[in-house]
Amino acid sequence: MRQIRILTQVARETFSGMKRSGWSNWLVIGILAMALTIFGGILQLTMTLKNVVDSWGSQLEISAYLKDGYEARMVAKRLSQLPNISLVEIVPKDVAWQDMQSRFRVASLKNPLPDTLHVRLMRADAVESTANAIRKVNGVEHVRYPLKVANSINRFRHFLEIAGLVLTASLTAATLIVIGNTIHLVIQARHREIEILSLMGVSPWYIRSPLVLQGALYGSLSALLAILNLGAVRLYFDSFLREQLVGFMPLFSQNLEYGMQPTFFALLVLGIVVGAGGSAWTSGRYIKI
Amino acid sequence: MIRLQNVNKDYVGRPALANINLQIGLGEFAFLVGPSGAGKSTLMRLLYREEVPTSGKVLIGGVDITRLEPRQIPLLRRRLGIVFQDYKLLPRQTVFENVSYILRALGVEGDQVIRRVTSALCVVNLEDKADAYPDELSGGEQQRVGIARAIVNGPPVLLADEPTGNLDPQTSLEIVQLLERISQRGTTVLISTHDQFIVNSLRRRVVSLKGGQLISDVDSGVYEMEARA
Ligand SMILES: Nc1ncnc2c1ncn2[C@@H]1O[C@H](COP(=O)(O)OP(=O)(O)OP(=O)(O)O)[C@@H](O)[C@H]1O
Ligand SMILES: [Mg+2]
Repeated sequence: MRQIRILTQVARETFSGMKRSGWSNWLVIGILAMALTIFGGILQLTMTLKNVVDSWGSQLEISAYLKDGYEARMVAKRLSQLPNISLVEIVPKDVAWQDMQSRFRVASLKNPLPDTLHVRLMRADAVESTANAIRKVNGVEHVRYPLKVANSINRFRHFLEIAGLVLTASLTAATLIVIGNTIHLVIQARHREIEILSLMGVSPWYIRSPLVLQGALYGSLSALLAILNLGAVRLYFDSFLREQLVGFMPLFSQNLEYGMQPTFFALLVLGIVVGAGGSAWTSGRYIKI
Repeated sequence: MIRLQNVNKDYVGRPALANINLQIGLGEFAFLVGPSGAGKSTLMRLLYREEVPTSGKVLIGGVDITRLEPRQIPLLRRRLGIVFQDYKLLPRQTVFENVSYILRALGVEGDQVIRRVTSALCVVNLEDKADAYPDELSGGEQQRVGIARAIVNGPPVLLADEPTGNLDPQTSLEIVQLLERISQRGTTVLISTHDQFIVNSLRRRVVSLKGGQLISDVDSGVYEMEARA
């Protein structure tokens, strides 16, 4: 009960404190929302691109040529148990041979082709390790895989991952700086009151809590605004895509089927955690006993 | 209740207090007097742990407060009522809110808060000003709010550093008599002042400081300003 009364009191202090800041609350939230929108937008683009790149990766194919006398179905079964494999397709040598005969004019020899397995992967960066694993499987004679393509896809992917990290870090830094400075200003403005409270024997955590809540509110409100902004941009972008690109690049637009929830979630969590954390740090630093 | 043992306090090498030994018992009432710069405020700040002595012990209720950890300091201050020369009221809060602040911060239940604040305001005779803001009050009234705030949590010790410094002689006397009444209810009261008139009117214990030294300590004393005469 006592704890609940204290919490209500802290909430009251938070709101009366923020009421005193008046319009400058909205200034802070506006600036933060803007920063979060921009960074969040770029983050979303990066993640979408990464999805596209990942889908390229899943188109990559490893071909495994089998030794004579091995049952293709059995080897395929074994391969499908390896990690990172999404699909194993059997191309029997008869089919391959017929295919070849129909496409080129080849002398009617005895079929020289081996049974082949086409292996699709889940991730481009697993190409080399999977190829090596496949090579060791009993019955596999020879393995071919598009290493160069896989490597460039991996490099691009890696670049996008780093870009995502850098963006998240910048987002965190921007939020920290804006909220930390704001709370610092509030502390400076209330310096005398804070001193009085401290002399009255009010605990530092009680003095700091409303400021921490204020920071968390700044963070979450601006994250919500940024989410609304990004949602609106997406709606516009989608209708634009539909009008301009109908039937033009079905594959591309399919790859653009991205979910924005992860970005929204990241923005919200980041807003709240960094908002509260930044103000906790600032008030811990400037409000001593 | 209050005890200083061989207390020294230096500010950048210059002593503000030198080898102070002082004891004030439970429920006692004492003046701390001395000319400007004598070290009265410094001694008070040691008592509410705004400062720590360079050497020596400061005991309140038997506890050496120089050894308190930072998180224990608020606990100490809640057991002290502190009254300041400049009142130190929260300007944006009403009289009631100022006095009730610490109770609300401690999660005291609403009815209790009203009861205790009303009784504290009663003691200082300000029940009818509960909804006023500090800047709507006279200096004497503001200081009475300060006193109500100091006693609302029922502290065993009340410290007042020049509580009448900004008040006219008549109001000063009223304030000090109010503090004397509070001490009669069992609170230990220490008042620093260089107001000869009020010290001499009350004829209570007088502890004199000069240049950081304790030069006299007499019961039913008067304050002689030989230094200035
Ligand atoms: N924070 C400080 N830093 C350096 N010196 C200080 C500090 N506070 C006080 N002093 C010095 O310590 C001495 C005692 O000061 P103190 O404030 O205790 O005197 P006082 O008796 O309260 O005087 P007054 O009657 O004018 O309030 C003075 O010489 C003062 O200059
Ligand atoms: Mg002083």
